[in-house]
Amino acid sequence: MRKLSIVLCLALVIAAPVFAQGQAEKGAIEIGSAIYKFDDTFMTGVKNAIVAAAAETEAKVDVVDSMNIQATQNEKVDLFITKGVKAMQINPVDRTAAGVIIDKAKKANIPVVFFNREPLAEDMAKWDKIYYVGARAEESGTMSGQIIADYWKANKATMDKNNDGVLQYVMLKGEPGHQDAELRTEYSIKNLKDNGIKVEKLAEDTGMWDRVKGQEKMAAFIASQGDKIEAVFANNDDMALGAIEALKAAGYFRDGKFMPVVGVDATAPALQALEEGTLLGTVLNDAVNQGRATFMLSYDLARGITPTDASIGYTITDGKYVWVPYQKVTKENYKQFK
Amino acid sequence: MYILEMNHVSKSFPGVKALDDVTLKVRPGTVHALMGENGAGKSTLMKCLFGLYSMDEGDISFNEQPVKIESVKEALHLGISMIHQELHLIPHRSVMENIWLGRFPRKGGPKSPFVDHETMYDKTAELLKELNLTSIKPTDLLKTLSVSKAQSVEIAKAVSYDSKIIIMDEPSSSLTENEVDHLFTIIRSLKARGVAIIYISHKMEEILKISDEVTIMRDGHYVGTWPASELTTAMIIKRMVGRDLTHRFPLRNSNPDGELLRIENYTSPNPRSFKDVSLTLHKGEILGIGGLVGAQRTEVMEAVFGLRLHSEGKLFIKGEEKTCNNAYEGKRLGMALLTEERRATGIFPVLSVQDNLLIANISSYKDKNRLLNYAKMAADAKKSIKDLDIKTPSAKTLIKSLSGGNQQKVLIARWLLTTPDILILDEPTRGIDVGAKYEIYVIMSELAAQGKGVIMISSEMPELIGMTDRIVVMSEGRVAGTVDSKTTNQEEIMELATKYVG
Amino acid sequence: MSTNTLANMVLGKRTVKQFVMDKAIFLVLLLLVIVIAIINPRILSIRVVRDVLMMSSTKIIMALGMMFVILTGGVDLGGGRLVGMAAVVSASFLQTPDYVRRFYPELGQIPILIPILLAVFVGTLFGMINGMIVAKFKVPAFIATLSSMLIIYGVTSIYFNMAPNNSQPIGGLRADFTYLGSGSIGFMPVIIIFAAVVSVIVWIVLNKTVFGKNVYAVGGNPEAAAVSGINITKTLVGLFGVCGFLISLSGVLEAARTGGATNNYGNGYELDAIASCVVGGVSTTGGVGTVSGVIAGVIIFSFINYGLTFIGINPYWQNIIKGLIIVSAVAFDIRKYVQKK
Repeated sequence: MRKLSIVLCLALVIAAPVFAQGQAEKGAIEIGSAIYKFDDTFMTGVKNAIVAAAAETEAKVDVVDSMNIQATQNEKVDLFITKGVKAMQINPVDRTAAGVIIDKAKKANIPVVFFNREPLAEDMAKWDKIYYVGARAEESGTMSGQIIADYWKANKATMDKNNDGVLQYVMLKGEPGHQDAELRTEYSIKNLKDNGIKVEKLAEDTGMWDRVKGQEKMAAFIASQGDKIEAVFANNDDMALGAIEALKAAGYFRDGKFMPVVGVDATAPALQALEEGTLLGTVLNDAVNQGRATFMLSYDLARGITPTDASIGYTITDGKYVWVPYQKVTKENYKQFK
Repeated sequence: MYILEMNHVSKSFPGVKALDDVTLKVRPGTVHALMGENGAGKSTLMKCLFGLYSMDEGDISFNEQPVKIESVKEALHLGISMIHQELHLIPHRSVMENIWLGRFPRKGGPKSPFVDHETMYDKTAELLKELNLTSIKPTDLLKTLSVSKAQSVEIAKAVSYDSKIIIMDEPSSSLTENEVDHLFTIIRSLKARGVAIIYISHKMEEILKISDEVTIMRDGHYVGTWPASELTTAMIIKRMVGRDLTHRFPLRNSNPDGELLRIENYTSPNPRSFKDVSLTLHKGEILGIGGLVGAQRTEVMEAVFGLRLHSEGKLFIKGEEKTCNNAYEGKRLGMALLTEERRATGIFPVLSVQDNLLIANISSYKDKNRLLNYAKMAADAKKSIKDLDIKTPSAKTLIKSLSGGNQQKVLIARWLLTTPDILILDEPTRGIDVGAKYEIYVIMSELAAQGKGVIMISSEMPELIGMTDRIVVMSEGRVAGTVDSKTTNQEEIMELATKYVG
Repeated sequence: MSTNTLANMVLGKRTVKQFVMDKAIFLVLLLLVIVIAIINPRILSIRVVRDVLMMSSTKIIMALGMMFVILTGGVDLGGGRLVGMAAVVSASFLQTPDYVRRFYPELGQIPILIPILLAVFVGTLFGMINGMIVAKFKVPAFIATLSSMLIIYGVTSIYFNMAPNNSQPIGGLRADFTYLGSGSIGFMPVIIIFAAVVSVIVWIVLNKTVFGKNVYAVGGNPEAAAVSGINITKTLVGLFGVCGFLISLSGVLEAARTGGATNNYGNGYELDAIASCVVGGVSTTGGVGTVSGVIAGVIIFSFINYGLTFIGINPYWQNIIKGLIIVSAVAFDIRKYVQKK
């Protein structure tokens, strides 16, 4: 038995290069990339964009999973430093933990591009070879609020079911305490208020970013609130689509019965729902451009070049920030995102 | 004509020759009692027959055909069943499922996946009726049955295998008098069907009442087989214990004085357990507790130490009344208990000798920072190993690699480190080879000479008589009498031990 | 027998106390319904019953699968990930032809049964491998399935990330497929019918077949089972296979119900399933458990989830309440078996 397992282990070691497809030495510029966790749809999109961008160059990006644990990510960073990568791309698990990573990187003189989760400003100021690529999370909230606000203004007669002039809504939040969830929730409603619309929150609960949970929570909202609901906000598309399934089961989206639902992310099924007319709108968090910008920055840094707007193809703000804008996606423009 | 013959059976375990040229011949349709002291080799012999142990030497013939029995399945297949002391039943399933487990009748042919509940019910009902067990319903859940009824189910299961031989190991040990009568009724009806019963028990009167023949074993040897009608209790006892005693014990110069421990009227809340037990232990005394297995000796002593409940009774330590409701309190009162089951409740097998030595006393090694003082621990462990002459490569060796005798010495040393006044040793020499036994006797007599009180529970008559000052003999949970070790003999103890039996 | 129970028998209290003990969890449920109904009486409606039953349907199927493993004293930690695998595999073959981001752009309209069978077959296979490892190598189920949890998730993610899908959520599922999850026959949702049929079949397997009896025997007292000549390996492989079958079936239905799938489907479901079984009286020491108990456990759980959202309890508090309910249910349950020596 023991012999057998030793043989098996040896076989695995020998076969390892086969598994490590494409990661074989190009004799090239090595860049370490740590994603906060792999099982996140959006981050997988960013990851794929990074890998695709790298494939056009002689750089080799080593992408690792931090498994949503900051300690694991720090271990991966240590590993990168030990390996002597030329630059790092870090998607922090905990944005406040970036300071420690910056200290390590500075000591080893390895430039870092943070992405998707923004480190604190004072940490960003610690060293000049620190960059950040991301979207302004509040922007996604503002935009989804704007989609509802536009719809309200255009269809107030039908949307204000109880004719009280107040917009009654329910909110499906992502993971509680998650920066995106909090900001999207806050800014979507803030935007409505900025538009001069009176709002009333009927219910709010967490769908944990999950389609199944979104569906189940929505079913409970419908049962407890009934026809009082005038709009549904979801912090992401998966939950929005779950909510739509629950609404369908309750008789919506047929015989002229409609409910405005907005999500965030513009995933493929969300675009399909836009086409079908069930989803009112979503906001594109531009994974492709975030990934590409992250790579282009780190590629320059790895080669010792100071990045410029021209060299990376994106605008650098304040010398270290690249802001990739969100985009409103509605029935009018969804086709261009397919 | 014999249904079973076991000839020249020998079996050794590391350090012990458990069976040495043993013979057993059983006639069909008879009850054959197998008797002997604990450790005489009865269970070992039966386990060889039932395919649980393999024999080193000897042969078995069944129905006048030589057979080899290498697994339980083969034994069952031949028609040999065993009713164990701890029953092999599934508590949350019904009587009929337990009986037909592995052989369920199926609806529409033997390949069908569906159980034929009607047939199973009918066959079970019929079986129970044959055995006159109509108070048990085939659909009763096992867990709802009394021990006696569960045992009856085991017997029914054995019968359903069409067994020619049923081995019953202490079947009456947890039964009431009425239940024993019922058991005997079942046994008689089995006899009438031509089934042979091998009956293991310590209860003389039971044996004489139910059995046809008696085979007696002693120290792994075969003593002889006699018709039960020719035997008396006294004769059986004599043949069971009749061995010559040489100088197997250290000489003791004992002069007990001053009361250390006294209990009065200890009674268990469980009506089948101990009742009304009183005894006294003096300084410098070794007090023996004798009796048969099941006489509740362990239970009383565990109650004294606080491991078991007692509903009535008073405890006096050096004349002062105290209470003791758990082992922690027992320890604080200066008591120490070496449990009977060395493996289950004594050693921590994967810890080192040192850890095993110090565990009961670990809190005394805290230094002023509340951390453990390793130097002191190592010194104490080293001293214990030297004092008790524990044979171990080092204090860091894992205890599981030591011999039974040395493990036992570690356990004794463990309790000595708590500096107890009263040591209760439950079967301290069980499963230990002769040399190590002597060393443990020496430790005991030294402790007594230091003025400590020692209580020893033992089922080995010679060591009880040879090592103690007085012996309290228990029978069926009660004190049957107290004897002076210098003047008593084995026959007297055996008689007391069976005083309330049956 | 302790003096305690003796006294109760004499006083005739035993039955009352016993009843409360046996049905404690149902009393908790009743209490919860009453409290919630006081806060918001709309909970007392047919729609709520229907919603809770629909929510429970896939979970019942999964928990029944989990019960087989718990009956042997183990747990299947890979169950949640298996839900994800079955959801992704079945959904990837069942997208509408005009959907833009198709998993297999060139794939024609294949019979609905083929992908479903494929997903369920893969799940059963994974289950049987678990059973083999547990039986042959004596690896505790806890560890064997911990490994398969990781392996299954890895395999699913590789599949899910294949071009051209690149980890996009799989959407645009065919109407005949989503019908299984969200359609109804008359008033009765199809998915509830599914759960009912599966429950009946599982009940028959456990109570009427030799295999079912052997499962209880191996779980209740493995030594007795071995002594009685039961093939323990076969039984373990079989029951783990059934577990994999049922869990992957629930994954397929989960995809049909939500109209989509990602590799994260089912994450953490195994813990919900285990909790439901335990609350429903399946003993973690093995050998005890009924289909009706598991169904009750799942429904109680779904109702807690639903009801707490219904009255708008803060999500953090929801977790605390759920935790308290699980631990008290099990503590009560264990009291039935523990006896003081």
